[in-house]
Amino acid sequence: MSKNFLPSQYESDNTFDVQHNYLTQQFSDKDLILEKIREVVANGDFTLGREVDKLEEAFANLVGAKYAIGVGSGTDAIFLSLRALDLKPGDEVITTSFTFYATIGAIVTAGGTPVFCDIEDDFNISVSKIRNLITKKTKAIVPVHWSGRPCEMDEMLMISKEFDIPIIEDACHSILAEYHGQRTGTFGLTGCFSFHPLKNLNVWGDGGIITTNSDEMNLKIRLLRNHGLIDRDHCQVFGYNSRLDTIQAVVANHLLSKIDHITSSRIANAQYLDEGLKEIRGVRVPTRSANIKEVFHIYSFMAENRDSLANFLRENGIDAKVHYPIPMHLQPAAGYLNYKNGDFPETEKAANGTLSLPVHEFVEIKDLDFMISKIKEFYSDNRL
Amino acid sequence: MTTDFRVPFVNLAAAFQNDALAISKCIEEIGNSGQYILGANVSRFEKEFAGYIGTKYAIGVANGSDALFLIMKALGIGPGDEVITQPNSFIASAWTIVATGATPVFCEVDQTLGMDPDHLSQLITSKTKAVMPVHLTGNPVRIDKIQAVLSGTDINIIEDAAQAVGAKFNGQRVGSFGIAAMFSLHPLKNLGVLGDGGVITTDNEDLYTKVMKLRNHGLIDRDHCEIWGYNSRLDEIQAAVASIRLNNLEANTAKVRSIAAQYSSELNGLVAIPQSYKESEPVFHNFIVHCEDRDDLQAHLHSHGIETKIHYPVPIHLQDCAKPLGYGVGSFPICEKQSKYSLSLPIYPEMTQIQISQVIESIKSYYLDRML
Repeated sequence: MSKNFLPSQYESDNTFDVQHNYLTQQFSDKDLILEKIREVVANGDFTLGREVDKLEEAFANLVGAKYAIGVGSGTDAIFLSLRALDLKPGDEVITTSFTFYATIGAIVTAGGTPVFCDIEDDFNISVSKIRNLITKKTKAIVPVHWSGRPCEMDEMLMISKEFDIPIIEDACHSILAEYHGQRTGTFGLTGCFSFHPLKNLNVWGDGGIITTNSDEMNLKIRLLRNHGLIDRDHCQVFGYNSRLDTIQAVVANHLLSKIDHITSSRIANAQYLDEGLKEIRGVRVPTRSANIKEVFHIYSFMAENRDSLANFLRENGIDAKVHYPIPMHLQPAAGYLNYKNGDFPETEKAANGTLSLPVHEFVEIKDLDFMISKIKEFYSDNRL
Repeated sequence: MTTDFRVPFVNLAAAFQNDALAISKCIEEIGNSGQYILGANVSRFEKEFAGYIGTKYAIGVANGSDALFLIMKALGIGPGDEVITQPNSFIASAWTIVATGATPVFCEVDQTLGMDPDHLSQLITSKTKAVMPVHLTGNPVRIDKIQAVLSGTDINIIEDAAQAVGAKFNGQRVGSFGIAAMFSLHPLKNLGVLGDGGVITTDNEDLYTKVMKLRNHGLIDRDHCEIWGYNSRLDEIQAAVASIRLNNLEANTAKVRSIAAQYSSELNGLVAIPQSYKESEPVFHNFIVHCEDRDDLQAHLHSHGIETKIHYPVPIHLQDCAKPLGYGVGSFPICEKQSKYSLSLPIYPEMTQIQISQVIESIKSYYLDRML
């Protein structure tokens, strides 16, 4: 059998003292979830059931959008949003190369050609460079709020308006993140969220949700996610099958009451790491901004001699990871787009230098101190 | 899903009741494990399912529709290609073709509701890349004749076995005849789970390897994406439930076959009962009868507390979404006639003998009233 290669966070390795994977701790109160799932089973309410309706309403309220639409995954959330724009072959979608594969997979599945834009030193798309990439074929901009840090939305919205190009936000990392007091997922035509097991708001399998204020997108995406059916017997458009399972909605509903705590724990842990790491020679922590609220799905920083540091930390029981070492424009799958090494210097620098530390709600102060001390030790040890 | 019918069309609550404890236990274990995606439960179910169908490989995916789509993508089917399927199927049989960029071409059906091999032979063009016969209601298509029509060509057969888990043709399980097959694990299916799920079966190693990549973002290892892919994975929970349900499948199939046998012997002559080839062992996902006064019979049954459905009142080629394909009323006379006359009776393992008799007696009383 082939090995199933999963996103790196999911490759849990129980030998680490400080791990990225915290799922066994997270669901210690799962009896409440199990009780609700038993009810769903007893009712046979499995497909687009009441728990999905409940989640959609609560999630729309949480984010501050008019609608939320549960779908099969975060990938499908981006795909269905773009598909609803009716891209034609050759249409271009501007996005970042410093992202997870799914952002690009969704663009390509929707029929678009990804056009990559370099990033800033906060790992997010360089909004000032977007303008130069716009052509007659540009049909959408897909910013990624990488690691849970909102992109510069003011300028992006101006560009969107000026050229009449919609923004589809990849908010898979950024539940509850805010830019100037407004939550991500409400800036673009749609916002795309993931409930993958290691996201800040997670379920027991694959799941995603789309937020939008647009009546038209809401209706269109609801059709597309369920075979294009307007009722049981009539198919208005050829659609897809991408539905959030009712039992997964049960898990998400359960966690909605905890998302504030999850988020504030991650922020507190990140601030602690920032303080501890910022003076270390060899480390660069991204500049934080008072106007944005980052939710730290990933805590990453730039590290000199990154690979050696990563090995050193892992030898010391710290589950340090790289998200991700090879940017999208240099992936084998992108060969046909004819990008090359050197095309996006900031992206490539980030890919070569970024390192991520566990930052989730179950990381304790002693773990944070331990990680900081080991990083200090590494750089004081003349390894540079 | 409460209903006022004394014989509801489906009873999912009852379907899962027998296994409720086992299901509850496995969900709890998976909840505890923290391993929710592509873990041991998916691998185990894939192995069990491949063994059951008799193929080398089985691959768990997000749903049956995605299974068809991923098979076609793995075969390189895309714009400019034609894929032949049936117009009397569920809409996903067609949209999955459209989603690859290829064009669906519809083939007339025969009295078993399956693809008509004679009509198929007239539809083959240089653009035909695959033929997707549908084992509708769990009733196998005339697969040997379809194979004969395609012999000497490099056109692949993709079996749409969404409704046909366990059905056999010439003693061989469907899902093992074509280059690959799709099964649905949707809750309403004979092997239903607690949400969306699907399985692909194949003996073809190349197709297997491709689909394994495509279902998981095109990744060949942690850091390398070989081809832009999709996210279409069977959840661990659903795989575990599928394993539990697979244990009961043969017993459940025997029960629905016995209901079908009772319906057939009691109703033959009043309505047209389902037809199968003598080589076929159908599994009766649905039990579809045909009668000219379908709407009246349905109204009568509903007024007697018996819920029925129509699969499907509007054939795919006459749907709004299919307008660009250029078909119209009269394109497929047999299919269109069946869609006007067909009625699906309740059939599921949890039906009681009383309920089965109620269905039979209500149909008999309808025809008796009309004679008097």
